[in-house]
Amino acid sequence: MRLPKPPSIGIRAPRLTGTSLRTPNLRTLGPGSVSSLLKIALDVAYVLLALITGVLLLLWVASIFIPLDNLNVTVTDGDNGRQIPLTRPLLLFGVGAMTAYFGGFLMILRGLRKIFRTLTLGDPFQPDNVRRLRQIGLILAIVTGGVWLAQGLVAARLAPGVMEPQGVSDLLTPVFSILVVFVLAEVFREGARLRRESELTI
Amino acid sequence: MAIRVQLDRILAERRMSLTELADRVGVTVANLSILKTGKARAVRFSTLDALCRELDCQPGDLLAHEPGPGDAFDDSED
Repeated sequence: MRLPKPPSIGIRAPRLTGTSLRTPNLRTLGPGSVSSLLKIALDVAYVLLALITGVLLLLWVASIFIPLDNLNVTVTDGDNGRQIPLTRPLLLFGVGAMTAYFGGFLMILRGLRKIFRTLTLGDPFQPDNVRRLRQIGLILAIVTGGVWLAQGLVAARLAPGVMEPQGVSDLLTPVFSILVVFVLAEVFREGARLRRESELTI
Repeated sequence: MAIRVQLDRILAERRMSLTELADRVGVTVANLSILKTGKARAVRFSTLDALCRELDCQPGDLLAHEPGPGDAFDDSED
């Protein structure tokens, strides 16, 4: 038996959509909060790194043309030092390596700032953030590997006996950092899937 | 997904538009369209309750299970 439908009394049911559940007005940046400090740190670091990378890039281009007559460079590990003549390939390699190093961290910061922006909008579990985290992990791996190789090259060729190459144990901390980033990317991937499920839950 | 939501048929029987139903139930037209076209992954009991109340029907009138040949494997995403 069906009960008669009660007359409508003009009250509208709350709209429980996936969009409203994401609380776009939620602000995580209260004054003095950890998030606001993090945002300031990211912005300041980004600007500084951008300036440094820009200067190094200009220096690298200038290195192609500046005269290098009778210039020497001192390679030292703090205790022992050795003077070697500064050649153009050496200069280009050195400045280029530093530009790539800072440029890599600049790209990481760019990705982190974009992720943080989605967090402030209250919607961090987006597929784009999965891609960004994986890119950050990849850049970290490349920079870590590059530093390890470059230091090995300097120790072997440029300053044997002065500078020691990095051992495998020196890679432990960076490798674990890279693993953490990739694991976080998988966590965000699952978060993005749950977000999608929530959007399609009526 | 083998679950079909038969909103079209019931709306025609009740001579109600999707927009009017959305307004009464408190769900957006877009979300009702997702439900109607079978793209929804889940329905809340509160929504089902509101739909049955406004359409004066039972959940069984709204929902049907029509398994197809590929439905056993279509739940995987990614």
